[in-house]
Amino acid sequence: MKNPKALWQRPVFRIGIAVVFLIILGGAAGGIYFTQLPPEQPIQFPHNVHVGLGAQCLYCHPGAVSGPVAGLPSQSKCWGCHQQIKKQSPELEKLAGFVSRREPIPWVPVAIQPDFVHFNHAPHIAAGLNCESCHGNLAAMTVAEPQKGQNMGWCLNCHQKMAPENFTRLSDCSICHY
Amino acid sequence: MANTENTGKWGMVIDTDRCTGCMACVTACAMENNIPWTGEEEAGYGRGMHWIRVQRLWHGEYPEVKPEFTPTMCQQCGHAPCEPVCPVFATVHSEAEQINLQVYNRCVGTRYCGNNCPYTARTFNFFDHEFPTPMDFYLNPDVTVRRRGVMEKCTFCVQRIHKGQEKARAEGRPVKDGEIVPACAQACPADAIVFGDMSDSESQVSHIARSERRYQLLPELGTEPRVTYLKGGGYYGG
Repeated sequence: MKNPKALWQRPVFRIGIAVVFLIILGGAAGGIYFTQLPPEQPIQFPHNVHVGLGAQCLYCHPGAVSGPVAGLPSQSKCWGCHQQIKKQSPELEKLAGFVSRREPIPWVPVAIQPDFVHFNHAPHIAAGLNCESCHGNLAAMTVAEPQKGQNMGWCLNCHQKMAPENFTRLSDCSICHY
Repeated sequence: MANTENTGKWGMVIDTDRCTGCMACVTACAMENNIPWTGEEEAGYGRGMHWIRVQRLWHGEYPEVKPEFTPTMCQQCGHAPCEPVCPVFATVHSEAEQINLQVYNRCVGTRYCGNNCPYTARTFNFFDHEFPTPMDFYLNPDVTVRRRGVMEKCTFCVQRIHKGQEKARAEGRPVKDGEIVPACAQACPADAIVFGDMSDSESQVSHIARSERRYQLLPELGTEPRVTYLKGGGYYGG
């Protein structure tokens, strides 16, 4: 028996198209969503507690003042204080485990740029920028959260606003891309 | 912040009389800039990858044959033929450093720039070349590892230029002459390659570039190369 309707008018065909479209849309939305989530860290490090107690960012991330990479603290840096201070908590038991096993803590970097972008912390700190102007208010976070919109337009906006007299140099492609 | 830096018109002088053709510059460049090795077969197809090569020419009749070695890299032209032909502005002129830049993330791989380069200084990544396991530990973190479909070329070791400028700015002084050295000049055992600031008339590279032995590659094209060569009256082979 011949179906009187054309192919594109059949409900099965239309539902199929809709399902495929929704799967693609859902995949895209999920992909974008998951890049905005803070990644799973080996220890749920409470930034808010440490910042609230007055610890300086540069104490644990000292590379920011002298070089391109801020660095993530080693277990000896954490253990230097936590040998004495507040040993009993489930998160600090994880730390004690890393120390007793002599393993490095596999921190997951959060604020990352692609390979073709060469960001250098030192000149930004030297220019008087605060950590929170790019990394968000860490006093309100436990583990570090990725910040939205850290793209090239964001970099250039700031370069244009903060240092218009150096904009020729600071808008040069080679300043980040080489 | 005071503008203490030297804005710089970087230049290079290569003394072909001193060059012995030892290829140390080629090796140093490959290590510094994460240049993959393509192997014999790909090189045979014209897909070898070097940012600097040593051109060898023979002079004279048989018993009196003398070689002439000319290390050739991107000449960082003032009027670069590669720049206006790029459809996506992936190769642009740096106003601050006065060199030619290749922006890898913009490049779509038309290879127009490479075909328009009179010095054939540009190389193209025809494949994602693999760095076999012990060698990937040697990759320079200051330089992008380029992927397939991207044109690349000598950058005058712009990562070292920036590092030197950052260091000088952090110490609040202008960049010293001879402080910034690209990998090829650093590796050259004969000191045939000298790098420096051409806008400073007192720098070593400016002094040498004013030599009467100076010549440039393909000057008739009017590309204003930043690399000067010296030849004649020399030490070896001249």
